[in-house]
Amino acid sequence: MIDLNETIKEKKNFFNRLVFVYLFFGMLFLFFLYRTFSLQVSSFTDYEIASLENKTREILIQPIRGIIYDRNGKIIVNNQPNYNLILKPSQIDNIDEHINMIVNFIELSEEDIAYIKENFKRKARLNRELVLKKNLSMEEIAKFESRRYKFPATFIDERYSRENIYSEIFSHAVGYVGSIGDDYLEEILTDQNLSLKETIFKYSNGYIVGKTGLENIYDKKLRGNFGKKIYEVDASGKLLNELQEIPAKNGEDLYTSLDIESQKVAFEQLNNRRGAVVAVEIESGAIVTYVSSPSFPINKITNGMSSADFNQLLNDQDKPFFDRAGQGRYSPASTIKPAIGLYGLENQIIDWEYSIDDPGFFVLPEDGRIYRGWKKGGHGNITLMDAIIESSNTFFFSLAYNSEIDKLVEHLSNFGFGRNICIDCFIPDDGLLPNPEWKMNTLNFGWFKGDTVNMGVGQGYLSATPIQLAYYSAFLAKKGTLNKFSFIQNDNTNKQDTFISNNLKDEDWQNIHKSMIGVIENPKGTAGRLRSLKNYAVAAKSGTVELVSTETKEDYKIIREVEGQRDHAIIVAFAPMPNPKYAVSVVIENGESGGAVAGPVAINVLNSLINNE
Amino acid sequence: MNKLFNLFRSKVYFDQYLFISITLLSIMGLLFLYSASQGNMETTIKQSLFVLFGLILMFLLSQIDPDFYKNNSLIFLIFSIVLILITMIFGKEVNGAKRWLDLGFFTLQSSEIIKIALPVFLAAYLYDKPLPISLFNTIVSMIVIFIIVNLVRIQPDLGTSLVIFIAGLYVLFLAGLSWRFIGISFGIFILSLPFIWNNFLEPFQRQRILTLLDPNADPFGSGWNITQSKIAIGSGGIKGKGYGAGSQAHLDFLPETETDFIFSVIAEEFGFIGACILLSTFFFVMLRCFYLAINARDRFCRLTIGGLSLLFISTIFINLAMVVGIIPVVGMPLPFISKGGSSLLSFYIAFGIIISMATHKKLMQK
Repeated sequence: MIDLNETIKEKKNFFNRLVFVYLFFGMLFLFFLYRTFSLQVSSFTDYEIASLENKTREILIQPIRGIIYDRNGKIIVNNQPNYNLILKPSQIDNIDEHINMIVNFIELSEEDIAYIKENFKRKARLNRELVLKKNLSMEEIAKFESRRYKFPATFIDERYSRENIYSEIFSHAVGYVGSIGDDYLEEILTDQNLSLKETIFKYSNGYIVGKTGLENIYDKKLRGNFGKKIYEVDASGKLLNELQEIPAKNGEDLYTSLDIESQKVAFEQLNNRRGAVVAVEIESGAIVTYVSSPSFPINKITNGMSSADFNQLLNDQDKPFFDRAGQGRYSPASTIKPAIGLYGLENQIIDWEYSIDDPGFFVLPEDGRIYRGWKKGGHGNITLMDAIIESSNTFFFSLAYNSEIDKLVEHLSNFGFGRNICIDCFIPDDGLLPNPEWKMNTLNFGWFKGDTVNMGVGQGYLSATPIQLAYYSAFLAKKGTLNKFSFIQNDNTNKQDTFISNNLKDEDWQNIHKSMIGVIENPKGTAGRLRSLKNYAVAAKSGTVELVSTETKEDYKIIREVEGQRDHAIIVAFAPMPNPKYAVSVVIENGESGGAVAGPVAINVLNSLINNE
Repeated sequence: MNKLFNLFRSKVYFDQYLFISITLLSIMGLLFLYSASQGNMETTIKQSLFVLFGLILMFLLSQIDPDFYKNNSLIFLIFSIVLILITMIFGKEVNGAKRWLDLGFFTLQSSEIIKIALPVFLAAYLYDKPLPISLFNTIVSMIVIFIIVNLVRIQPDLGTSLVIFIAGLYVLFLAGLSWRFIGISFGIFILSLPFIWNNFLEPFQRQRILTLLDPNADPFGSGWNITQSKIAIGSGGIKGKGYGAGSQAHLDFLPETETDFIFSVIAEEFGFIGACILLSTFFFVMLRCFYLAINARDRFCRLTIGGLSLLFISTIFINLAMVVGIIPVVGMPLPFISKGGSSLLSFYIAFGIIISMATHKKLMQK
C-alpha cells in the first residue's frame, strides 16, 4: 500500500511538472501564433513592400528634351542623336574574342577596351548592358549594320545630346544643360512618384537637366517625365525579366519670343566688347533680344570641354560666364532724366514752360558743393525738353534738389528700378534703388541732400541691370503701363504694371517722347550722329556712366589711360515713333560715349527688328 | 471490417493519432521541401525515401517492448558515444565542423542519435532510484549530460548540444529535481554568462547574438538572414503568395531555405493560414504526447515520453524563434519538414519509442 501511495504521489508530482513545462510551451505556442500574425497580418503591407523592393529594380528612361524655337519658329536648341554600340555581356562567353572581331572594323581605344574588360564580368553576372563605344560615326554605323548578323548580342542604340544651333549667341539667354546631381534627381523623381533608391542606371550619357537660362527656368516643361522599366531581380541583383515598362513622356517644345536675327545683330555689334543688349516688344513685354558679351561656346559646356579650356574661360578677365544683361549693375546715368522730368511734372514742381538758367554747374545751398554738367559754360536758359535733348545736368540737379527722396524712390520704382521685372529670367538682379534707410543700414551713413541731387542724373548709388533699363525704356514708350517681361510668346500670365499718376496727361508722355526723339533729331541733341543710321524716328536717351569723378576734360584724359576707368556707354531707345514697337537698352562697359558707342548698337538692333518685319 | 481492425489492433502496437499526424507532417514537409529546394526533384526523392524508411522504422520500433529499451539503454548510449568519437576522427569536415560520418549510402550526423539515446538512458537510470531524485543521482546524471553535451559542442554543433542539454534537464526535472537545485544552478549560470561569452563561444556565434540585439546595425551583413526571413514571412500575408511563388525563397534572398529557414518559405507561400495549419499539427502532436506521458505504464515510460516529446517541442520552438528573429541563428532543423536524413530519422526513432511505450500496457502499473 505504501508503494501504491508513493506511486500516486510520484505520478502526481510528474503530472504537475509536466503541466508546468507544457504550460510554458503552450504560452510559447500562442506567442508564436501572435508573432506570425503580427508579421503576416499587422505588418503585412510593410513587408509586402519590402519584398517587392527586394525583387524589383527600376531602370530610368530619359525622355527626349523639348526643342527651343525662336519667335519665327526657327530652331535654337535641338537634340542631336548620337549612336552608341552596346553589348549584352550575359550572352557572350569570350569577351576577348568578341573585342577582336569588333576591332576589325570599329576602332576601340585602349581605354575603351580596358573599361570593357574591367566591367564585363560584373555586367554579365547582373545581366546589364555594357557600352562598347560612344558616338559612333556614320561610317562605323554602316560597317556595323552590314555585319550585324554576326553579333546577336550587340546592337546600336540611339541617345540624344543637346545642341545649340548658335554656339555663342544664346549662351546666356537659353543657358546650358548638364548632368543631374543626385539630390536634384531625387527631387525630380519624387515629383514623379519614382523613388531614387529603387532605381538604377543601366547605362546612359548621363541624365541631363537645365543648369542656366531658359533651360533651367523651363526645365520641368522641357524635360518631360522619366519613364522606367521594372525588372525582376534575384538576390545578387541580376536582371531576370522585364515586368513592366512605363514609357517616358517627352518634354514639351518651348516657343520663345527671342528673335534670331536681332540676336545675331546685337552679338555682332557688341563684337566681344563687355556689355549687353536687351530688346523687347513693347506691347507684350516679350523679350526679343537678350545678349551678354563676351559669350562662351555653349555646346562645349554642355557636351564636354577640356578642363584647360574651361579654366581659361573661367579665369578670363572679361568674365564670359557673367550674364551682364540680367545681372550686371550699371548706373543709369543720364538715361534717368526723362523719369526725373516726369517726377517734376507729376508732383507739379515744374511744367513744360518752366525754365532755368544753366551756368554749367549746380551749387548745393547747404554746403556750397559744386555739381558740374558735361558742357563747360552750361546750356543757357532751358526748359525740361531742352534739358532732355541737350542732357543738361544742372536742370535735373536742381529738380532733384526740390524733390522728396521717399517720393522720388517710389516714383522710380514704377519704372522698374530696384525690383524684378522679369517673369522667367535666370537669377535676375534687382539692381539698387537706394533710399535713406538702405544707406543707414548698409553704409552706416545718413542720407545727404547731395545723394538726392546725384540721383537726379542717375549717378551715385542708383544702379540697374540692362534688362531693367529696357523695361524703363519700354515703360516710357508705353506711357506708364507695361507687361512684366518674359521670354515666352503669348504668355497670358504676364502681369501688368501700371503707373498710377495724378497729374500726368497723355500730352506729358508725348512731350517726353518728343524730347527723346530730339535727342537724335534735334541739332543740339546728344546722339545726333545716329540720325543717318535709320529711316524712321527713334526716341532715345543716352548716358555716360562716370566711374571716376573728374573735374575737367584734362583730368579725364589722364584716367582714361586705364581702360577699366573709362566711362560706361549706355543708351535706352524705342522705335519706330510715333507708335513704338520695340524698346532697347544697350550697355557697353568702358565704351565712353552713350550716344556714339552704345547708340549705333541700339539702332542696328532696332533696324533688324523693324526692317525685317 | 471492424473485426479486422480490432484484430489488427490487438496484434500490432499502433497509435493512430501520432501516426497520422506525423505522416501528415512528413507529407507536408516533402511538399514544402520541393518548393524550398527550387523544385529540385533529386533532393525531394531522397527525402521521400528517408520519410518512407523513417515511417517503417517508427512502426517497427513501436512493436518492441519498452523493457527492451530500458534494459539496453546503457548499450545504446555507449554506442552513440562511440559514434561521436568515430566522427571526431573519421568525420567529414564541412565548413570547419566535423559532424558527419560518411556511411556510403548516407552521411550520418552522429549527434542526432545521441540526442535520443541520452533521455532514454537517463529515464532508465532513474527507473529504480528513489524519487524525487537525490542529490547524488542528480550529480551523476549531470556529469553524463555534461560529458555528452561537450562532446557535441566541440564538433562544433552548438545548436544540437544545446538541445541535448535541454533534453537531459527535462528528464531530471520531470523526475523531481529540487527547486532549490534549479534555483542555485540558474543563479550560477547567470553569473557565469560573461565567462561563457568569452571562453565558450566562437566569434561568429557572438556576432550572431549581437546581430539579434540589433539586426538593423548591419542589414547586409550578419543581419541579412533575419531581415530576409522576416520579409519572407511578413510578405506572405494571410493567404500566401502561392505554392512555388515565393519571391524571397526563389530569388535567393532567403538563405538555407531547405533547412533552417524552411518555415519562412512555408509562411511566404502559404501565408498565415498555412503557418497556422502547420503549427496546429505540431501542437496536436504535442498534446497527444502529453496525454500519453500522463497515462504511461511506468516511470521509465513516463520519463522517456516526457523527455523525448519535450525534445521534439523544443526543437520546433528553437527553429521558429530563430526564423522570426527572437533568438540567434543556431542551425536547428524543423522536425519532419527540414531537409536532412539524420534529423528526420532521429525523430522517427523518438516517436517509435514513444508509441511503443504508450501502447504496451502492463496489467500491474508501477
